[in-house]
Amino acid sequence: MSLRLLIILTFIETKTSMSIPELLINDGFLTKQDWEKINNFSARTGLSFIKIALDFGYISRKNYERSLTNAGYKFQEIREQSFDEEILSKIDLKFADQHVAMPLRIENNKVITIMTDPSDQLFIDFIRFTYDLEPEIIIASDLEIVWLSNKLLGDKYVKSAVYELFKRDPSSSAYTTFSSGQLVFLFILFGIVVIGLVLYFKNTSIIINVIISFFFLIAILFKLFLALVGSRFELHQAVTRDDLKKLKEDDLPIYTILLPVYKEDKLIKKLIWNLQAIDYPREKLDIKLLIEEDDDKTLNAVRNLDFPAIFEVIVVPFHMPKTKPKACNYGLHFARGKYLTIYDAEDIPDIDQLKKVVSMFNKLPSNYICIQSALNYYNRNENFLTRMFTLEYSYWFDYLLPGLDTLDIPIPLGGTSNHFKLENLIELGAWDPFNVTEDADLGVRAYAKGYKIAVVNSTTYEEANNEPINWIRQRSRWIKGYMQTYLVHMRNPVALWKKLGWRGFLGFSFFIGATPLTFLIYPFLLAIFISYVVFDLSSIRTLFPDWVLFMSIFNLMVGNILMIYINMMAVFKRRFYELILFSIANPIYWLMHSIAAFKGLYQLIVKPFYWEKTEHGLSKVTSPTNIIK
Amino acid sequence: MRNQSKYLPFITILLAVYYLVWAIYLNKAGYSSQEALFYIEKSKIIIDGLGTRLRVMGLTAPIIPFYISFIFSPINTLLAPVIASAICTALLFYIIARPLLKRVRGNFYLFLLLIIFIFHPGILYAACSGKSIALVLIFFFLFFFNLLKFYRSNTTFHVSIASISLVMLIFCDYKFIWLSLFFIPLVLSITIESLNLSEKESIFRLFLSFNNPSLRRKLINKTFALYIILFILPLACVISYKLLNLTHANDLNYSEQSPYATWTVLSEKLSFDQLSTSFVYQLPENSLLISARIIMFCPLILIAVYLFKNSTYQILTLLTPFAFVEFLHIKYEKVFLLHEYYLIFLVLSLLCILYKAQTIKDQTTLKWVVGIFTLVQLFTGYIFLKDSSISEEQNFATILFDHSADKELNENVDMANYLNHLPAGSHVLVDDAIAFPIVAHADSIQKLTLPYQSVFLSAIEAPDKYDNYILLATEKNEVTGFTQLNNRYIPFIKKVNSGLRIHRVYETDNWILYNIFY
Repeated sequence: MSLRLLIILTFIETKTSMSIPELLINDGFLTKQDWEKINNFSARTGLSFIKIALDFGYISRKNYERSLTNAGYKFQEIREQSFDEEILSKIDLKFADQHVAMPLRIENNKVITIMTDPSDQLFIDFIRFTYDLEPEIIIASDLEIVWLSNKLLGDKYVKSAVYELFKRDPSSSAYTTFSSGQLVFLFILFGIVVIGLVLYFKNTSIIINVIISFFFLIAILFKLFLALVGSRFELHQAVTRDDLKKLKEDDLPIYTILLPVYKEDKLIKKLIWNLQAIDYPREKLDIKLLIEEDDDKTLNAVRNLDFPAIFEVIVVPFHMPKTKPKACNYGLHFARGKYLTIYDAEDIPDIDQLKKVVSMFNKLPSNYICIQSALNYYNRNENFLTRMFTLEYSYWFDYLLPGLDTLDIPIPLGGTSNHFKLENLIELGAWDPFNVTEDADLGVRAYAKGYKIAVVNSTTYEEANNEPINWIRQRSRWIKGYMQTYLVHMRNPVALWKKLGWRGFLGFSFFIGATPLTFLIYPFLLAIFISYVVFDLSSIRTLFPDWVLFMSIFNLMVGNILMIYINMMAVFKRRFYELILFSIANPIYWLMHSIAAFKGLYQLIVKPFYWEKTEHGLSKVTSPTNIIK
Repeated sequence: MRNQSKYLPFITILLAVYYLVWAIYLNKAGYSSQEALFYIEKSKIIIDGLGTRLRVMGLTAPIIPFYISFIFSPINTLLAPVIASAICTALLFYIIARPLLKRVRGNFYLFLLLIIFIFHPGILYAACSGKSIALVLIFFFLFFFNLLKFYRSNTTFHVSIASISLVMLIFCDYKFIWLSLFFIPLVLSITIESLNLSEKESIFRLFLSFNNPSLRRKLINKTFALYIILFILPLACVISYKLLNLTHANDLNYSEQSPYATWTVLSEKLSFDQLSTSFVYQLPENSLLISARIIMFCPLILIAVYLFKNSTYQILTLLTPFAFVEFLHIKYEKVFLLHEYYLIFLVLSLLCILYKAQTIKDQTTLKWVVGIFTLVQLFTGYIFLKDSSISEEQNFATILFDHSADKELNENVDMANYLNHLPAGSHVLVDDAIAFPIVAHADSIQKLTLPYQSVFLSAIEAPDKYDNYILLATEKNEVTGFTQLNNRYIPFIKKVNSGLRIHRVYETDNWILYNIFY
């Protein structure tokens, strides 16, 4: 044996006799202070050293692997490893997750155990005491262990994520799209209309026209009213800078952030920068990146990060329906926070958003269980679609939701940046995995249980959809979700009315129910209008008497004008003056809504739980960093 | 203050009752405005008429006062406009008094407001005439009130409400569309003020913002956005309404220019005739002196200007209605300025007082001045109404102060009474372009063949086939030129149909009723 080889072997032996934290300190990837911090944190939370080191930004996965490989450890592929159900039955996923380790089988009188940190004595002791055998450790990447442990041990959690609400409160679950009563009602209504059209074509057409046109006008007047109420308080700061100054870091609670992603590999780096900018103590953040089992793209993107991540990866085992709420429900089992929020991968929340929410929760009565932040877009000037989207969102989050909040009408929560009290969220049965707008549904469910939702003066900037087909896909899901939500809560209208009160009931009907309906009927009204006014189609005159046409045209015109006006108002608060004229193009934008509405309606009937995935990362606009307004 | 607020609805109701009593009394004493009669007649057509009433329903202008009056038709068709105007004036009081109580301490200003609303002849005219003045004043007040609030709060809410008020104002009196003209420079001034610049002087702010590309872009964007948010709604509504005019009356300006759609056509014609044919060429409303007349009518406006002396664009805002009225006088040069356009200044001055009075340190002096000016204003209000060039306003003052009846109205009522007593089954050919005061008093509208019906044109061509009677305007009738059914009709119809046998059955100064023999 040459001297050189002897030196190397001695070096390796010295290193392997070190604990992993010592090894990392020795390699300069960790400081002693960090180790001390991790140990303190571990003592408080029960999380293992390696879990904290890798998920709280102390060391990057690449450096960890580098350090261990240099020390002579060999990382192995584990996905194809065989396993024994009986061995697995003795360990809970949460424990395996805390230690990033799990036993697989017994071989040669040893428990084959996969671990990321082979020096985790607590877990080794667990193996010895549980199986009464010594472990044989296979070193593997933490992400691989997370993937395998969730896949093999996550069954009961994923089942709970899918069926919990359905079991606990079937009347609130969208598992059944149409109830028998609703089907009977719809068929009777359809029958009456058909009979009416066959027997009294003219009169039935007139009645339908009058009802639709008034419904259209009332729905828009209601939106105008809400926007005016909302705009009245546009300068009101729910949380001021002084309120934030009063918060003490030590008193801040643990905050869970769920990041459900699917094939968002392009956005992972961006996501980490945005998360790192959040002004909240790192150890009090409990960030969970929820990756689907079949999403190797995102998992590899996380693996390839060459800087420390500040999130924990949770792999959601395969189970239908493959929806975002199911992933969130699954992540909820591992959430440690007092409060919880959801962000999308491309989101850029204001850096003080979490603190604002904590401050606001401290101020609000205990029945406020959710706070919604405003959403807006950072790529608003990219193209026509992003401009229109920005107008719509500005109106929705800056005027409409505050209007609903002021009038104490159920708020349909936005897809992200809604901050919950965790215990109340669980009490409500969390998100409905069968509902494709689970957020809107949850808002109504919270109100029905007597809880309240508030709106905070903080914004999360998202990426506006800049591609028409992608836009229609996304919108069709939203509109389908509104239909689902309306159908779910209208299974017993009287009970709903009693729960929400007349204001809440009307608000819900005009907001959730009327929105898809308006988009479905809009093209017909527009067609009648254009045929009559522009082309002077005489057969329309013979079908409808003058007074019906007069009213319909009046309603459509006033409705369109008011809706355009509401959108114009929206840019004022945000000072996006350059967008004001684009409001005029709203009738075209609504036609796109109508296309999406028909697609949504079709899907509601044929595949109600299908989640139309929105492609993110299409924008070419470099996103700004988090902004404090 | 809370107690006063609690009593405010009660005071408002009492005020409404007070106006109603006056209105009904004056109505019974023989006063009725052309506008009120026009609304009554159109309401009757909608309720009892036969044939296509769509055009009457949708294109009668001004549409909002007409609809408000129509709401009260089920109570009493003849009194509906005055009920509407009485209630709207009481509502105006409430709308002014509510913020007044919130902003100003003490009872003094509320007391003054009550004095004005009880005794000011102009306000009584607005309340008891059945005209749209009260509605105009309400929306005028709301428009300016929200603009002033917007200057302070800079919120979209106030500018949107101002815009909606402007829409309502325009649909109460179309001439107010010209008010927007004078807001064009004002909006620029508002934007310049709202830019975040260290320079305080407006002119230097303008200079700075025009010479800096970034500021210039911001200034242009914001100014444009403000224009849009303030004026797009009125503009779009007017365009849509005109479009409806075009589709349903084949005339873009039907509701402004047709005597079948609006009463203003005839009243303006009368003003025009009076001014152009008068032997003594007098111009009581000399354009240079209009503003001076306004100040005489409403000296309180001087206090309003004083209260805002340190705020440039608030002052400009107050001066805008002066420019507007001067403009109206130039644009409609042969038309007398209605009392309504004087009353807007009364409302504006009240608004300024309620908005700013509390900021004045020497409240005692202010109260004295406001009190004295209010008393002066009651007197000038009386003078202006009594000496008004518009006969309708003069008539009101005469009946209010001298209790003498309107002769012309009596004549219309007499003719209507005669029509009411015609044998059952009789049909009368009437052109309500000018005969609406008679139709308004007719018991049964179904007895009359009117222009809204498709048979009207055929009835004019062959009256004997459709009607038993024809109502014609005499040569003395001031608006005889607005109808085919005047003294030239008989020779014309005799030429067409020589076999037609007619004879006079009833005649007044302005009207002749002919019976058709078969």
